[in-house]
Amino acid sequence: MTADHVIETVALSKRYGNKLALDHLDLCIPRGRIHAIVGANGAGKSTLFRVLLGFLPPTSGSARILGRDSRLLGPDDRARIGFVNEEHTLPGWMRVSQVVAMQQRQYRRWNQHAYDDVIGHYNVEPRQKIAQLSRGERAGFNLALALAQSPELLVLDEPTLGLDVVAKRAFLESLMYGNATEQCTVVYCSHQMEEIERVADNLVILERGRLMHMSAPEDFTARVSLWIADMPFKGPERSTVPGLLEAQRIDGLHHYLVLDQDTDFEAFLRAAGARSVQSMPVSLDRAVNGFLAKNHAAPAEKLQ
Amino acid sequence: MARTRALMIQIATGDPRPIGKQIVDAVRMKIATGELDPGDQLPSVRGLAQQLTINPNTVAKAYAELTAEGWLESRQGLGLYVAPPRQRLSDAERDRRLDEAIQRFLHDVIALDFAPDEVQARLHHEFLALAPRKSA
Repeated sequence: MTADHVIETVALSKRYGNKLALDHLDLCIPRGRIHAIVGANGAGKSTLFRVLLGFLPPTSGSARILGRDSRLLGPDDRARIGFVNEEHTLPGWMRVSQVVAMQQRQYRRWNQHAYDDVIGHYNVEPRQKIAQLSRGERAGFNLALALAQSPELLVLDEPTLGLDVVAKRAFLESLMYGNATEQCTVVYCSHQMEEIERVADNLVILERGRLMHMSAPEDFTARVSLWIADMPFKGPERSTVPGLLEAQRIDGLHHYLVLDQDTDFEAFLRAAGARSVQSMPVSLDRAVNGFLAKNHAAPAEKLQ
Repeated sequence: MARTRALMIQIATGDPRPIGKQIVDAVRMKIATGELDPGDQLPSVRGLAQQLTINPNTVAKAYAELTAEGWLESRQGLGLYVAPPRQRLSDAERDRRLDEAIQRFLHDVIALDFAPDEVQARLHHEFLALAPRKSA
């Protein structure tokens, strides 16, 4: 039976001592397409995947992956999930051909074409040892292995971190234009907004173990705007500014990055004494960073 | 010889305009200025996506918007082509869009303190440079 959602959590919580890494998280990721998950370090991404893949039990709530309870995953279930992350757990002394042989034995649905398709972009020889591969080659190799499994769900955790531009491009091309990914749902964790902008159909923002936003990337960008106003003295108290993400004073002008504000915000600024007010849209990068930076500790405001 | 006409456009990430919109704007401009002719075949969805290193769904959406607006037409089993020129929007819609564009333009230049004659002359000059194949 196919599930409509590849990932489904209901009020999922995970506590480590005093820290609540996942806080009643309700997340539903539909089948198909490429979903990017972003969040600052500590937002709960790694914990979420450990719980979803059954490596950690939840403190409360439920987690389901490909329609199965995460705590009850068997080898057949795991075979339907491909996982690529930055750390590599393959032993350095093993040869590429040996690893491939091992995977071929382990996965019934091994697709040699999918493997060849991806590995063909990399200069990887079957007799090479894993330790001899460059970072980019290892990333390509991991992707080739994961896709050859014919997974229904492919989870990538910062897969292009540390890759040079050539390797990065090859990786993204294999991910977006290969035949193997057409049949599977891709969940992609990354900090690199430039990449997410190119790749993601759906943007999921996690913060402090909660879901803060989920939509197409451009729909999120549309929620954020930058307003620049010429105001006397210090301007309104930060806590009174509606939807405030970031406030800065640059060359005597007040810059406000705000969320979900419309033309009423101009009225607010004028009421606060603004002589001139202008607004404009921002890039996805600026919008997401502003959103995530909001709750982080900032240096005390300097008096101007 | 390839049947597809090369589509010389670029996209920029980190731009306030979404990538899909950049594609729609760029293709529209190429058609309007005559760089692409009616009957020219556009790259496939996957082909353009690969050229720009972006998600094919983004290209598909941009192509769908251009087709809905009448700039492109789909030929069964063959691909997407530049549609023959015809009135793509109603007169009322054209008027409305022109008004909006004029307001945006005026808003941008009003503070620059040029004489209206000078602005008009400059506009006329740019218009001619942009659309050499269109009759005045």
